[in-house]
Amino acid sequence: MGEIFTKLEGGRILIKLDKSIYEKEAIMAAAYKMTDTCFIVVKLQEDNQFEVYFEPKNSQSEEELKAIAKNYCNEVLDQQTRLDVEKRYGNIRDLLVKQAFSPIENIKDKINI
Amino acid sequence: MRPYQLLPFRFHDFKNENMLLVNEVGEFLFSSKEEFNNMISYKLDPESETFLDLKSKQILTDTEIEPVIKMLATKYRTKKSFLYNFTTLHMVVPTLRCNSKCKYCQVSSKSEEAFKYDMDKSTAKRTVDLIFLSPSPNIKIEFQGGEPLLSFEIVKYIIEYAEQCNLTKKKQLEFVICTNLTLITEEMLKYLQNHKVYISTSLDGTMALHNNNRPFRNGQGSYDIVTKNIKKVREYLGEDSVSALMTATNDSLEYFTEIVDEYLVQGFSAIFMRSLNPYGSAKRDMYSLGYGVEDFIESYKRAFKHIVNINLNGTFFVECYASLLLGKILTPFSAGFVDLQSPSGVAICGVIYNHDGNVYVSDEARMLANDGDTTFSMGNVNENTYQELFHSDKIVSLIKKSCLECLPICSHCVFQSYCGVDPIRNYAEQGEVVGNRMMSTVCKINMAIFQCLFELIKENDKPTMDVLWSWITRKPIVMEKQVSHESN
Repeated sequence: MGEIFTKLEGGRILIKLDKSIYEKEAIMAAAYKMTDTCFIVVKLQEDNQFEVYFEPKNSQSEEELKAIAKNYCNEVLDQQTRLDVEKRYGNIRDLLVKQAFSPIENIKDKINI
Repeated sequence: MRPYQLLPFRFHDFKNENMLLVNEVGEFLFSSKEEFNNMISYKLDPESETFLDLKSKQILTDTEIEPVIKMLATKYRTKKSFLYNFTTLHMVVPTLRCNSKCKYCQVSSKSEEAFKYDMDKSTAKRTVDLIFLSPSPNIKIEFQGGEPLLSFEIVKYIIEYAEQCNLTKKKQLEFVICTNLTLITEEMLKYLQNHKVYISTSLDGTMALHNNNRPFRNGQGSYDIVTKNIKKVREYLGEDSVSALMTATNDSLEYFTEIVDEYLVQGFSAIFMRSLNPYGSAKRDMYSLGYGVEDFIESYKRAFKHIVNINLNGTFFVECYASLLLGKILTPFSAGFVDLQSPSGVAICGVIYNHDGNVYVSDEARMLANDGDTTFSMGNVNENTYQELFHSDKIVSLIKKSCLECLPICSHCVFQSYCGVDPIRNYAEQGEVVGNRMMSTVCKINMAIFQCLFELIKENDKPTMDVLWSWITRKPIVMEKQVSHESN
């Protein structure tokens, strides 16, 4: 397996992620977590790939930007796991918050998991 | 069919291949990564200890879901109990005049002769009338400054009028005066004693640090008179009648352990290790007074370790911020601290009435206003009704934007149940109330302290845990030696 990213002109780095594996929410949440260190642009291509472009924000070196991009890949995995786990408990969180402030009749019928 | 049902929880890759799992109401558990992966892929053995632990923490269940939701809802309500009563803390600024010229003055105080910054009697009366319209059964009136003792007649008027109002309202009424203590007289002390007024003062540490940070307007140091008057306050009002706050400037960071020792010398049993807030002079002079957030965290951790050791050596001494966080982590209750609430406690838990009758959502909002930015003004006591002040679209909008549950990053943060939002700080630092969490100094400090506390909880060293619990319960630990001595 080659490098997980492509080097572009102007010191930028490109990472491609498969839309069939990662959701947009995970891609965006992970990108948000990197906003203090670099500029990020996310594009969806016709081949169902997300293209994520990284540009240095604080004059980072090429190696430093690579490290950020690699961390980003792990962060996307982490965010995707959170989304997957959330799906497994359906609307239980919403129900318990509602129930805390205004009792719900027939909770059982409203559980959607 | 799934063998068990996952319940709402948040997680965090903790340390050394461990995961920290926290359910929706703040109950937590550490697990190995392998156990975590088994759990989310429904491969846990229902007979295993891990499964039973997760079940007892209501992170999963293999029984009927409805009763579990009801139980979690009850716990959730307890965690959010600060919302029940509406505004409890009412800060009043009797004057903006001050005889000190603190380097970091965050309120932009005025000279002792600037009498136009005093609150007048009719504004004071209207302020108290509004305070008693709060539905809260508990009312704390806290005098802020300037230096409130410069306008002691108005302080007395507010206390006495509030007591008079309370004859019919019958609320749990408390008074606190935040003062530099340099102007306090025996006559004032007798008055404060008669009206059961609690004192909150400022002590920035050793003589050199305090005099450097908090000189009088003529440049002289205030340490000697402050420490002398702390003793005098205790003589009149009792040992526990006075607490102190410190503010850390760039000069303070390397002396954090010395500052703790100074608090001990002065007879305090607690300290609040507080970083500089970006308002007033502190913001204008951030270049000379400020420091990197990492530097503060390092100093805080050093002081924290020192404080734990002080306790382990037999002296009860609390770090207040850690104590608040630990209370939220280790008990089912909320903290009663505006900065650690979601939604934010601005206006709905604490509010401030400025000398001119203008009302602001928090002390920090008033600090911004004193610097010319009135974004967080709620109105004026002389012009607006209670409904207009507290139930405006502005307040509703601000509260809606200050729920951690909906904020980027916070919504997934494992520490969410224990943390809070300060929209005014976000605005002051980043120009808007939601702010970007990655650039928030408060978030960085809180994350570091949470990590430090959870590392101690994970280690579970009994003597250290006894110290942490003693901070929550505010009861000194009973040392082993004492027990054996007594039992002999």
